[in-house]
Parts: sequence; C-alpha cells; structure tokens
Amino acid sequence: MAVLKVEDLKMHYKTKKGYVKAVDGISFELDAGESLGIVGESGCGKTSVSMTLLRILPENAEFKGGHVWFNDNGKMVDLVGLEEDEMRHYRWKGISMVFQAAMNSLNPVYRVGDQIVEAILNHYPDTSIDAARDKVAKLFELVTLDPKRMDQYPHQYSGGMKQRAVIALSLSCDPRVIIADEPTTALDVIVQDKILRELKKIQKELNMAMIYISHDIAVIAEVSDKIAVMYAGKFVEQADSTTVFKRPMHPYTFLLMNAFPSHVGEKKKLFTIPGEPPNLLNPPTGCRFAPRCPWATDKCRTEEPEYREVEKGHYIACWHPLTEEVRKDAFRK
Amino acid sequence: MRLENKNVLLEIKNLKKYFPAERALFSRAKHFVHAVDDVSFQILEGESLGLVGESGCGKTTTGRMVVRLENPTDGSIKVLGKPIEEYERMEYHAMVQMIFQDPYESLNPRMTIFDIIAEPLNIHNVGTLEDREEKVSQLLQEVGLTPPDSFLWRYPHELSGGQRQRVAIARALVLNPKLIVADEPTSMLDVSVRTAVMELMMELQQIHGMSYLYITHDLAVARYMVNRIAVMYLGKIVELAETEELLHHPMHPYTRALMDAVPVPDPEYKRNEPNIIGNISAPIDPPPICRFYDRCPFRVDKCKTDPHPELKEVAPGHYVACYLVHEGKIK
Repeated sequence: MAVLKVEDLKMHYKTKKGYVKAVDGISFELDAGESLGIVGESGCGKTSVSMTLLRILPENAEFKGGHVWFNDNGKMVDLVGLEEDEMRHYRWKGISMVFQAAMNSLNPVYRVGDQIVEAILNHYPDTSIDAARDKVAKLFELVTLDPKRMDQYPHQYSGGMKQRAVIALSLSCDPRVIIADEPTTALDVIVQDKILRELKKIQKELNMAMIYISHDIAVIAEVSDKIAVMYAGKFVEQADSTTVFKRPMHPYTFLLMNAFPSHVGEKKKLFTIPGEPPNLLNPPTGCRFAPRCPWATDKCRTEEPEYREVEKGHYIACWHPLTEEVRKDAFRK
Repeated sequence: MRLENKNVLLEIKNLKKYFPAERALFSRAKHFVHAVDDVSFQILEGESLGLVGESGCGKTTTGRMVVRLENPTDGSIKVLGKPIEEYERMEYHAMVQMIFQDPYESLNPRMTIFDIIAEPLNIHNVGTLEDREEKVSQLLQEVGLTPPDSFLWRYPHELSGGQRQRVAIARALVLNPKLIVADEPTSMLDVSVRTAVMELMMELQQIHGMSYLYITHDLAVARYMVNRIAVMYLGKIVELAETEELLHHPMHPYTRALMDAVPVPDPEYKRNEPNIIGNISAPIDPPPICRFYDRCPFRVDKCKTDPHPELKEVAPGHYVACYLVHEGKIK
C-alpha cells in the first residue's frame, strides 16, 4: 500500500505580473522502501513540489488544488486539509526533508548533537534527554559520523560532515518519507559518492520512502527506483528508471537523457535542445515543450496532452510518443 | 584536429603559488597554502587542455596566473616562447582571454551587450565606431545570438544564463585571442542549454583556431571539450594524458578514485566504490612526500620517505606521478 499518494497537486506563486505556475497538476504514488527521483532543470518547479508537500511555503504561494494523501498507519490522511498544528504532527515525523545546501541550516552557536536532541524532544516530549542522546549517537553511526563529534560545533565539521549531520537530523524522528532536495550539489564527487551510498543504504535499511530531487541525471539514475521528469511545472514522463533511460517516450526526456555526457563507455553524440525553458508566468499553450520540440505538430501547439498511463507504471503527457524507430533515427541525423 | 607540427603556445614550468594562511595583523605569514605547487605543462596552438580536479586542487589558481590575475610565487609561464611578464599588459590580453564560471556575475549589469563586447576594442583602440558595431554584430551572429540587432542594445538581465555565457564568449573572442582560459564555463548552465554552449565553443575553435585551457571539475564534460586532460590533486598534476587514453587507462590511484566517484547516467551501470582513504585537507605546509600519501590505499614505505614523485612518461604521451606506477606495480 502506498505511503504517499499525490493527486493533481497545484501551487502557484502570486507575483505583481500574475501567477507563476510552479506546480501545475502533479500526481504520483510512493510505496514504503521505494525511491522516486524527480529530475528537471532550474525553474521547472521541482523544489516547489517538495515545499508544497511539506507545506513550508512562502507567503505569496497559493494552493490551487489537489490532494496529498499520507498513510498514517493504514488511514489515508489528506495533508492538504489539515490545520497547521495538525500538520506539524506529520512534518518531520511523517515526512522529513534534507534541503539544498543543508549544511548551512545548522545553527552555528549550538552543538550539533544538541540540535538533533532538540528535534527529538520537540516531537517526542516524553523522551528522556539520555534516551535522546543515545538515539543521536546511533544516528551518527548510521551516517558514519563519529558519535564523539556530537559535542562539537558546526564550524568544526567539514562540508560533507555537516551534510551527514543534517541527514541524521532529518532521520531523527523516524520519518516514513524523506525528501532529499539536491543534498549533494555543493559537494565534491568523492564526498558525494559516500553520501549517496549511505543515503541509499539507510533508506533500504529503514524501509523509508524517498523522493530525491536533482538536476543531475546521473545522480538520479543511481538513487531512484522510478523517475519522474518535470518540465515547466508538470510531470511529462514517469516510469521505472531503466525505462526512462532506455525507452523514453517523451521527447523532452529523450533529449535530456542524451544531452548528458558520461565519462565511461563509448563517446556518444550529445543532443542539444533548442531554445530555453519557458517562463511560468505565461507558459505556452498546448504542450509546454512544443516550442522546443523537434517533433511538435500543430496539435501540440494548441491542445494540451493529458498525463496518462501508456503501459503499466509508465506515464507520459505527449501527443506523439517516441517509438524505438524514431529514437534510433534521431541518432542517425 | 591534427596537432602534429604545431607550435607550443603556452609553456608552464615549475609554476608555484603559495598563499599565506592565518596571518596575524602586521606579522609575517608563517604558514602557506601550497595552492599550486610545481606544475608544468604545455598547450599547442589549436589544442585544448583540461585541468580537472576537485575544489581546492589549484586548477582555478593556475588559470588565473595564466591570465595574469595572480602573480606566481615561482616558476615561469611563457606564451609563444616569451615569458608573459615581458609582454605589455595590453599586448598580452589581446592574446589571452578568460571566460568565467558565472555569467550572472561576470557581465556588468549597467552596460549594454554592445558595450560589453566592444569594451576590449575601446581599450585597445581598434577601429571606428562603425567598425566596432560591425565586429560585434558579426560575433553575436557567430555565438548564435541572432538577429544581432535584437541583442545589441539589451542589458544582461534581459538574457538567460545560456545567452549571457554566449555574450561572455563573444567578449573573449573580440580581440582574436590565441588562448582562452575557460573556468567552468558551463557548470552554471542547465543540461538542455549546456550542450549547445559546449558545441559552440568547439565550433568557434574550428573557425578561429585558438587554444583552450579548460578548467572543470567534470570529467564527462572535459571528455567532449579537450584533447588532453591533466588531473590535479592538492596543487600537483598527478596524471596527464590524451582524453580517451586517460579515461580508459587511468593509472594514478587518485584518478581512478575520482573516476569511480562520478555518477554514471545509466541505471544499469554498476560503479566500483572509489578506493580512497579519508577526506581532502587543505595543503598548508604539506610535507615534501607524495601529496596523495594520506589518502592512498596502495602506499608503500617508499612513498613516505621519498619526495613527491615526478610526473613521468609511462606510456607515449601518458604522464603519471606515482612511484607504484613508475615501478610497474600499478598498470
């Protein structure tokens, strides 16, 4: 049974020039122990999705519809309808998050261990301080930090260690779902590699569901069981990760996957995508990718394709899904 | 591109840059960060060399010394056989230009695109206003900002990141330089825009024949951009070879770890776990032994007692600084 079920989620930002349609009808399901990668370019709305799920939105954000069903021990609760104090019960304990550049989210004047103890005591007020400290020590071991470092301050940590501490913090209340939003983007590859390995291991060990958000297709390929490709506020394709990479049906997915260089294997031709991502104040009519799509027809430019399941677990929003033939042809050109 | 019989454009020998670390007010520095420590390499005319490494390895400092934004502590940089400090500043910058990482920071927001690209022409007093307009229009065309008339009088904030980087490229090209130092020119750009800028830089090289010193942390991007790759670790070049040779036969333990650490865009690819010990540290007064000693899983006694190994040719055109490789223990 799904631990999280999102239905047609919509959130727009109100600005002087109009509404920015950052999240415009997103749907997905997530089982326990499963990881979903959301990949997209800057400004496509991927971070807004995570903020909407947790309801940690800026003042100008307006919720425009949809549901976020969270499985609370067998009972599906719609987080969207909850009062703020009820929501607080699910935030961190139900769904927690590791932010982008999270190493800066530690308070510099408190010991790292104390900050995590505080989070535990906040959500489980009956816990004794000793029990909470024991728990933090275990969490430190889980993220391969020396528990002796609990009593140090953030400035005594390296970037990678801070990021691990923040992951420990996000795990402190035994969340069922963890949202990791570009948690390794500011780190060097060798440190990134370690954190990715740990995150994957912990996720499987604790049977947590994970939403991993990144612009880096290679990282997404490694951590995700299934992948959703986001473009201009919408999911354009979603499937298990192998299908997304080997048999993408949406032109944006196909071009994006093949625009990304790899340092192993044979040196393949890189694809370019003409133009630039659209402004979400006035997204194009019809399919939002149509102005940049080499396969677009008049229909694409006027009618918006529905996001639908074309084979089991494979969703796309495209009037002319790519076939094997078309994909092969594209490499010949 | 055929590089035989080409002249050496840039020759760097034993280049060093030490920065003072933790200096108290009025007292002389006692400790130094060895940001670049005895680096030597050459770039031929029309060639691209990639400097690849993690943050703090000295790749950017090397690039900044080549464009004279930083003075070397020791060592020499020669362009076309002449030490760079013997060139007039103006003369030098007509030959060597730079493209920076962040196109949001590197363009003056109060200048129009025309003024930005034409500024080097102003400084160097090249041509009349009409000539300059023609030159700038032609460059805008070349970098794919068309029609040029619709960009000339706009300001940087009206352009996207990819378009701004194209402006930065046009500005670097306006004086027909022989060498362009490009410091992570595509790392701030989105994937869909990045490939186009990479292709543009390669096309422009075909047309104008300049060389690139391409600085990047991304091995996969370097693969598409450069003829040879030099891998840097804490101020030293540890391995240097032709791009495909390096990627298919990495020999230095650090290069191998680095390659294993880079995620691969293929869910079915199983990467090896990088074989490396501990974490990177700043090279403050490093001991004279191999710079990679602390992190090397293969180290032997010799590595602890002998000086940092020389960058030696172990296969044609393939240079490695590692005793174990020199002695054939790592192949």
